[in-house]
Amino acid sequence: MRTLKQILGGNLQQYTMVLALIALIAVFHFTTDGRMLTPSNLQNLIAGNAYVLVLAIGMVMVIVVGHIDLSVGSVAGFVGMATAISASQYNFPWWAALLVGLLIGIIVGCWHGFWLAKMGIPGFITTLAGMMIFRGLVIWVSQSISKPVPSEFQIFGAGYLPEWGPAFTGMNNSTLLLGILALAWFVYAEVHRRQAALKRGVQSPLWVMLVRLGLMAIVIGTVTWLFGSGRPGTSFPIPGVILVVLVIIYHVITQRTRFGRHIYAVGGNRAAAALSGVNTNKIYFLVMANMSFLAAIAGILFVGRATAAGPSDGTMWELDAIAAVFIGGAAVSGGIGTVVGSMIGGLVMAVLNNGLMLMGVGADQTQVIKGLVLLAAVAFDVRNKNAGRPSLIGNLLRRKDATAPGKAEPEAALKA
Amino acid sequence: MAERMPLLEMQQITKVFPGVRALDDVTMQVHRGRIHAICGENGAGKSTLMKVLSGVYPHGTYEGRILFDGEEMHFTDIKSSEEKGIVIIHQELALIPELSITENIFLGSEVMRGVLIDWDQARWRAMDLLARVGLDVDPDTPVKQLGVGQQQLVEIAKALSKNVRLLILDEPTSALNEEDSANLLEIMRGLRARGITQIMISHKLGEIAEVSDSVTVIRDGKTVADYEVEEGHVDEDRIIRAMVGRPLDNRYPDWEPRIGNVLFEVEHWNTEHPTVPGRLVVKDASFHVREGEVVGFAGLMGAGRTELARSLFGRSYGNYLSGTMRIAGEPIRATTVSQAIDAGLAYVPEDRKTLGLNLLDDIKGTIVAANLQAITRHGLLQPEQEVDVAERFRKELRIKTASVDVGVATLSGGNQQKVVLAKWMYPEPRVLILDEPTRGIDVGAKFEIYKLIHALAEQGKAVIVISSELPEILGVCDRIYTICEGRITGDIAAKDADQETLMRRMTTTSSTEPAVPAPTA
Amino acid sequence: MKLRASALLTALLAGSLALTACGGGRGATETETTSSGASQSASQDAGGSEGFAADATIGVALPWLGTQNWMEAQTLFEQQLTEAGFKPLIQAADNKVPQQQQQIEAMIEQGAKVIVVGPIDGTQLGSVLGSAKDAGVTVIGYDRLIQNTDAVSGIVQFGSIRTGELQGQALLDGLAAEKGEPPYNIELFGGGPADPNAPDFFKGAMNVLQPKIDDGTLVVKSGQMDFTQAATQDWDNARAQARMDTLMSNYSGDEIDGVLSPNDGIARAIITSVKQAGQASVPVLTGLDAENESIVWIAKGDQYSTVGKPTELLVGKTVEIIKSLQAGQGMPEPDATANNGTIDVGLYQLDPVVITKANAKEVLANDAARLKLFEDNLS
Repeated sequence: MRTLKQILGGNLQQYTMVLALIALIAVFHFTTDGRMLTPSNLQNLIAGNAYVLVLAIGMVMVIVVGHIDLSVGSVAGFVGMATAISASQYNFPWWAALLVGLLIGIIVGCWHGFWLAKMGIPGFITTLAGMMIFRGLVIWVSQSISKPVPSEFQIFGAGYLPEWGPAFTGMNNSTLLLGILALAWFVYAEVHRRQAALKRGVQSPLWVMLVRLGLMAIVIGTVTWLFGSGRPGTSFPIPGVILVVLVIIYHVITQRTRFGRHIYAVGGNRAAAALSGVNTNKIYFLVMANMSFLAAIAGILFVGRATAAGPSDGTMWELDAIAAVFIGGAAVSGGIGTVVGSMIGGLVMAVLNNGLMLMGVGADQTQVIKGLVLLAAVAFDVRNKNAGRPSLIGNLLRRKDATAPGKAEPEAALKA
Repeated sequence: MAERMPLLEMQQITKVFPGVRALDDVTMQVHRGRIHAICGENGAGKSTLMKVLSGVYPHGTYEGRILFDGEEMHFTDIKSSEEKGIVIIHQELALIPELSITENIFLGSEVMRGVLIDWDQARWRAMDLLARVGLDVDPDTPVKQLGVGQQQLVEIAKALSKNVRLLILDEPTSALNEEDSANLLEIMRGLRARGITQIMISHKLGEIAEVSDSVTVIRDGKTVADYEVEEGHVDEDRIIRAMVGRPLDNRYPDWEPRIGNVLFEVEHWNTEHPTVPGRLVVKDASFHVREGEVVGFAGLMGAGRTELARSLFGRSYGNYLSGTMRIAGEPIRATTVSQAIDAGLAYVPEDRKTLGLNLLDDIKGTIVAANLQAITRHGLLQPEQEVDVAERFRKELRIKTASVDVGVATLSGGNQQKVVLAKWMYPEPRVLILDEPTRGIDVGAKFEIYKLIHALAEQGKAVIVISSELPEILGVCDRIYTICEGRITGDIAAKDADQETLMRRMTTTSSTEPAVPAPTA
Repeated sequence: MKLRASALLTALLAGSLALTACGGGRGATETETTSSGASQSASQDAGGSEGFAADATIGVALPWLGTQNWMEAQTLFEQQLTEAGFKPLIQAADNKVPQQQQQIEAMIEQGAKVIVVGPIDGTQLGSVLGSAKDAGVTVIGYDRLIQNTDAVSGIVQFGSIRTGELQGQALLDGLAAEKGEPPYNIELFGGGPADPNAPDFFKGAMNVLQPKIDDGTLVVKSGQMDFTQAATQDWDNARAQARMDTLMSNYSGDEIDGVLSPNDGIARAIITSVKQAGQASVPVLTGLDAENESIVWIAKGDQYSTVGKPTELLVGKTVEIIKSLQAGQGMPEPDATANNGTIDVGLYQLDPVVITKANAKEVLANDAARLKLFEDNLS
């Protein structure tokens, strides 16, 4: 066990959701006679869920800061429709339509940020209003008729990396290159980390690093092979590449920048953050603006895959994103949650959906199962949380503990 | 015959919380038609005594007897004490702002006709009650439209509606301005004339002198003085001595200050209450602190100490009205907290849990939280540096923890306070304001914090310590400002001060300054 | 908050690794590659002329099960495909486009040879059906047109324009039979604009009604005669009822004689609205789908007519095409073609039937359940 800890490097409890995800994949792989881990299914899984995962990136930041955004589905739908209309009705070139979409996302975000940060309207209300406004606008501008998008958009929603180079690799060489780059980066990071540890006198046996790197190489190699060895013309899907790039950027922003720290500070204790020199309203504004920007990207990814923007695009997406964030370990009361955790949460839902479909389970039962999994995952996660990292339910449990001795001495509770 | 019997007698009341004897054998009598004052320092046990009386702590959770009208009472809750005519008006008003005056007065005891509320009747009765407290407003007015003083009167009207026999006012003027305070005292006299017995909890000696007929002083849960006074002839010295009279022991480190030039200067600072326009919480405050000097701000809770400190710290409290601030002779204009930090100010708030810490964060994250730019390179935070900084403070301040990766919520109060101090030492401020730096931590940790305060002063920083504990202020500071009702009322070198002088200045504003007892008028 | 991304990723990937002994790879999909090549060359009559196994998997992607006709379609597909020896794989998508996209992908993954698609939004399946085609799967549209893709081999549906014409004619007949002499006051309702059939229904009905409006036999008091004005977002009964409530304000001193309703749910909503507005006589209503509830209403005389699109005919026709594909005979000759925005798609059209109180017994003769319902409620 200690060895395992050394290799994984951290608290094993943090891996609860990862282990659940792996177990889920394993179960489905066997119950579907091996249809889960095939190149085409994994490609579909990523391409078909990229939009939810992109939303979850922004949503985790909103939830950490202590709000919630109910408008993302409507905003994504509106951006998709606006993009489609500017291309199909106003004959914008595809790239101009894309820019129009992203710009609308940012403007919508500023609109939400204005009401939340400057006017002090709670995020729930601001975005509930946004949900209605932008859903209405989608139907209004589209006259409820689906609009096609330029074929270039299909690249974002359903495209694949180019094929090139020698054929003896037996796989898509773009995917292979990505895999090699990822592995190179991990090797660099591991060596760098070990050097830093040694420099400050922390014990860091060489074999641990080698085992970690070995595992990493096998893992990345396998994933690369799985995505790269599909039907010729397929590869790691472009929406997946966009997603991975966004995850890396936002992971760094949330964990390694002052802005990221401030998000957690405001979510953890707004008054304390303000007294530490954090401009809380600015943080609120930026987080909301960013959320709608990401919603715009999600909307574009979706219309790219659907080849057309429809009037009901985005309905209920906000709830999928919120579910992903909470399965990923975020706390309802704010202050807790990570981008990577939310991606795991989103993948749990996606794999569940995909696996049940492969098994031929109907949408009705799938919904029930997903709801139960959401409850179970969050409950499980809450019970495993460290004492110093309470979530909403953790708080309730702790308050119960605090009052327990108060039953013998009721005045103790009253005094507190 | 009943005339001579006191209305209320509390006999040998003892109330124990785990580890604390909040009340220890307290005995007092309140006679009919009197205004009886209870005074004592913060935490002396006044509020606990009143909670025992009003049934918040029900019969059986304390020792001793309560006699009301000669009968022994066994209150089980507030309702049962109210039925006997004992009504308490708390410091924080308990009115519902959105409801009208009438609705508030009869909340919980609505005027009924059958199953429906008889609003006409209720309105008439409300008007009567308002007339009795001298409040001339429409009873349909929502309470939120009233000023604090008027709300207080509504509370009293509400108490009168319950056929009150003993009215308890807990620090009734703490939220009021002078005019409203004077008005309230007048109303209290009027109620006394109508035969309503009152208990007033206060530490404003001026008010006690003005209206009370008898005084009980409580200190550390014990009755230390209990006597009758003649109106206008309250011996303030006697009260003050009784309030603070505990021996000063050696709980403070020795230190030799090396005091330099004036570093921090504030002149004519005025701040308005954030939600009550026109009410000044800081009135024309001027003071200075020298390099290497530890200056104490002594004042009772609500005197305006914290408000002044937070107003200076990037205007994080109230509305700034006027005043200037200088560090080393340079005028400072800090309208936001981050500007204040950049200017070299640091403020360690009084309430660690709600204002000082993000309890979800770990130790290292907390320590660097106010100075993130110091560990930022190329726009990215440097985790290695973060750990280095945290480790340095862990050693320097002897923070007891296994690792700086641990959540701050797991630390004891003393160690949490050290982490907060480290957070504010890391930006290398020139002026540090510590608000109640030792509240809620044990004696050993207090001693370490005091040493730390001196160490900071030795580095040439200007240190301000805000505290309600007079021995602490006297033991740690070089010079002391007293604050009363938002005004700085005294500037005394610590070696010349004792608790009584401080307490006098903390309880009398400069306007009533000459009210040092004039024994023979 | 401080989960280490790389470590997490390692763990995640390490886990999946353990399971990938049986993973795919280019070699594994070799067969699909060849069949996709074949289908690409066969392009229009995709599916290849060589046929496929008699017990092959057939996917059926339905939009949802929230209305009776889709519920019936699910049951009938299950029955008829099983009888024909195929392995049916039927899923409904709860009216969510992404859900349907993923279901179709899962069907491809499960090796379906033919996928029957009843689309939620016929324009939004482009790239998914593209990958179906690449994988050598034949796609047959069911009930609704599939647009903006070359990957669909044919559409089985009731002629939408024809359906509309029947509705229009039923309205005219009903007015003549029940409302005495012209002119008649009528109002027009359309279906959900996202459904490509809805404008066609409306167009078909207007082919019949427009001349009568022009000659003054029919009067649309509200003046709302465009599809966009008359449309009912998402076929939502509540919206239709709300619109009818508003329209009734035009009839304070007058009676409304008839309403063109695109389906049964909306028809009932309209009748409810008219009754609530206080009008004593029920207007002549059209409908669609022959829902059980509407059969009851027709029997009671509240709803004048509905148009039955017997699901078994539609399913039967679809299964017939699948059998033909299985035998290697390709797609049968279509009845007509329609441009779907990318290609001309073959249409396999069936004629719907009008049901009124007068002819219900004979039309429903083969449908025991509905017939019983009709007779039990006959007033």
